[in-house]
Amino acid sequence: MTHCTMDDLVALGGGEGTAWARAHVAECARCRAELEALHQRVARLRALPVRRPPRDRWPAVRAALLAGRRRRERLGWGSLAAAAAVAAVLVFRPFAGERAGAAELTRVKRESATLERALARYDPDGRVTSGRAAALAALLEDRIAAIDAELARLGTAGAPARPAQLVDLWRQRVGLMQELVRVRVTRAAYTGL
Amino acid sequence: MAISIAIPDVLVARARAGDLEALEALYRAFETPVYNLALRMLGTAEDAEDVLQETFLEVMRSLRNYRGDGHLWAWIRKIAASKALMRIRRDQVRAAETLDEDAIAAATPPAAAHLDLERALERLSRTSRAVVWLHDVEGYTHEEIAELMGKTVSFSKSQLARAHARLRRMLEAGTAGT
Repeated sequence: MTHCTMDDLVALGGGEGTAWARAHVAECARCRAELEALHQRVARLRALPVRRPPRDRWPAVRAALLAGRRRRERLGWGSLAAAAAVAAVLVFRPFAGERAGAAELTRVKRESATLERALARYDPDGRVTSGRAAALAALLEDRIAAIDAELARLGTAGAPARPAQLVDLWRQRVGLMQELVRVRVTRAAYTGL
Repeated sequence: MAISIAIPDVLVARARAGDLEALEALYRAFETPVYNLALRMLGTAEDAEDVLQETFLEVMRSLRNYRGDGHLWAWIRKIAASKALMRIRRDQVRAAETLDEDAIAAATPPAAAHLDLERALERLSRTSRAVVWLHDVEGYTHEEIAELMGKTVSFSKSQLARAHARLRRMLEAGTAGT
């Protein structure tokens, strides 16, 4: 006589299982006992005592949180300086050979702005739908912030930045923004939250 | 695990605005369920503590994005489970999974009635243990587990069946407590 496998029993325990398995369990005392043992194991797992953290981790969490805030504040000022730096380059470097670079710079900046608007439209609240998506979005945001900081640094350096350098950085920013939009949009439909 | 923690909306709003007292109140409300989830999935107190810290840093960074249309615990739990699974994936490069005796000693000694099952659970691979805990205790579906683990639904189902087959053998043979 063929009996239920653990796959059959687990499926039955989860309210699934094949018609054959359901019919077999109804007739076979041994498999009924196995299914009952499975239910008992699950019940015992759920009844395991709750373990508490042995040490207080809040001081470490708080310290990391405050350090992150300080870092973001610095990067925030950097973003403003970056915008000023780009404006300065466009105004003070009107040579013919660089006009094409300036035009490309304007184009990628527009593309970046379009993506910012797309992000706001698809995800007005910046919703994070899962831990993994949150981690990926945070990583992308950090990298965007790092690029903004680099743009700011170029803007405050002694020698003005070359348009090609700025175009490269803005292109990287556009790439990261595209990825961020993808994360937000593709995760937006994820269930459970 | 059925957790019902009532968090006033005003507290969430204050935490979202960055109020440290409110953030600490959230931490205090959820530190034990997060730690317990991580400990059951990972098996060592040290890893569970790290996941506890990583989870709350992520929660605090993403809280402004939490829409509030679901249960806060469900949202935090998903982040914690994701962090624990990331650690399992990272640790899979290790040649063998070993028990951290110091970490186990740091945990409260289990009640005798639960001893065998707890030890049997600890002897499962981390992946199997995570699937068992998420499915049987936390109530995740195989689809949700597959999504979290980046695997297929079939993988989740087969891991669960294999885990139960092993638990059954260990409990019957009485080797879990040895």
